[in-house]
Amino acid sequence: AGVLAAHKITASSPDTDLPTVSGLRKMGVNFTVSNKDTVKSSDVLFLAVKPPIIPFILEEVGPDIEARHIVVSCAAGVTISSIEKKLSTFCPTPKVIRCMTNTPVIVREGATVYATGTHADVEDGKLLEQLMTSVGFCTEVEEDLIDAVTGLSGSGPAYAFTALDALADGGVKMGLPRRLAVRLGAQALLGAAKMLLESEQHPGQLKDNVCSPGGATIHALHFLESGGFRSLLINAVEASCIRTRELQHLADQEKISPAAIKKTLLDKVKLESPSLSMASASKVSLFTNKSPSSKKN
Amino acid sequence: RGLGGGVSVRRPLAMEAAELRVGFVGAGRMAGGLARGLLRAGKVPASNILASAPSDKNLDAWRESGCRTTHCNLEVLQESTLVFLATKPHMLPAVLQEIRPAVGPHHIVVSLAAGVTLQTLQRLLPAGTKVLRLMPNLPCVVQAGAMVFARGSGAGDGEAALLKSLLSSCGLCEEVPESYINIHTGLSGSGVAYVYLFAEALAEGAVKMGMPGGLASRIAAQTLLGAAKMMLETGEHPAKLRGDVCTPGGTTIHALHQLEKGALRATVMNAVEAATNRARDMAKD
Repeated sequence: AGVLAAHKITASSPDTDLPTVSGLRKMGVNFTVSNKDTVKSSDVLFLAVKPPIIPFILEEVGPDIEARHIVVSCAAGVTISSIEKKLSTFCPTPKVIRCMTNTPVIVREGATVYATGTHADVEDGKLLEQLMTSVGFCTEVEEDLIDAVTGLSGSGPAYAFTALDALADGGVKMGLPRRLAVRLGAQALLGAAKMLLESEQHPGQLKDNVCSPGGATIHALHFLESGGFRSLLINAVEASCIRTRELQHLADQEKISPAAIKKTLLDKVKLESPSLSMASASKVSLFTNKSPSSKKN
Repeated sequence: RGLGGGVSVRRPLAMEAAELRVGFVGAGRMAGGLARGLLRAGKVPASNILASAPSDKNLDAWRESGCRTTHCNLEVLQESTLVFLATKPHMLPAVLQEIRPAVGPHHIVVSLAAGVTLQTLQRLLPAGTKVLRLMPNLPCVVQAGAMVFARGSGAGDGEAALLKSLLSSCGLCEEVPESYINIHTGLSGSGVAYVYLFAEALAEGAVKMGMPGGLASRIAAQTLLGAAKMMLETGEHPAKLRGDVCTPGGTTIHALHQLEKGALRATVMNAVEAATNRARDMAKD
């Protein structure tokens, strides 16, 4: 998006074989295997590891966190207060922002929300918002809504991919070549989403506008209704949100066992902090157009 | 008796409702509903309304309202300009045959018979007769009906305007192509029953949760009335009105989820479709 020059971005990961690593290097991003180096050379620190790894990362980099750092956690289900608690043993007033984004940041059509922690200023939130707005929609929310956002737009692209796959199947069944079916299906959803975002009208009204009396579309919609299409989508958002809360609950109790952490990652980590009994896994402190695999929800 | 004679002098189309003589062949529930609507709205004085039926059973209520009654269908044609045919559909052909000699160019014949097409009506009546086909629904009785009508080849703008103006006193009245009439049956003719079913279920839900039945029923009805009124008065899309009621994480959205799980929308669409198809099938018989 041209918001940051590549040389101003540092990424770290213990695992240098990840395909994302070479991609980042090609972009001109500074790459290191040392999480500590990343912290030292950054002002805004994105923690993009899997949620169970967060506590260990915080232990590792805590001593290097200074007042200037804005720690942004993208980890699903990890609360601001849990991060602040961990960091407060190292730094009295850590600036923490929690954010939930989604994979289409890759194509600069992401949906991002953030909640600011106790010591993060308004300007800190605005800085993040400025960064994330360059890759899509970004707005501030109360932290207690982030689970719902996860269910809706965090997981949302997966629902869309599923729908698109099925729509393409429908097209193929009725005679279209697969590639064309996928292309048309995606364009249909893209166009519909764009219409909705640019319109004042309710989606129900936009739907009506497509349905000529007795026509093809209303016949098709009847099938969707019969299948409980709407309730399936409601169920999906609900399930994702509830699961996020469950994971958060488990994390709060620090019930994640070391076995949950990939063994390969443990083997490759170079320990710099003797106090750490458990190795850190891959951490990418990075603002990038290419989403590393650790961004999975 | 043929045309003319006695009171039924050939006169210019009585656009003044007060002068208009209205007749009903058949005096059952639907006819009664329309007449009551006309009377309550003060469109036609009771003395200008004449209804015929084979027995007195249905006619008592008409007389009590001040309307005139008879057992002779022909008399209705002779006394009235605007004639509603409100017999049961299967009886209509015989009735048409009976009244045909008395039908003249000044008459406006409006058939309420479900499933009897304009083509059939025109075939059984003198050529050029002004024929219209009306599909009302029961709440005409309380002046909250939904009615559609279609005109035959002999009926012109004047007749359509007259009918619309008169019947607007009973509720919503719109002219439509004849093909919409069966759909109207599925949507609104039968639709009233769907609403009663829904109201009953709402009340039962409330009773289950501890409210007395009578109160629950009245509140259910008022809820439907209020919601419908908002739709009609604001003109807003029902989806938007629905959204307006749903506070995030609140009671309404939880309840709506239940309705969606039960595929209520599809079921309702199925109902409208079934009734419409049945109306179409019956029309073919």
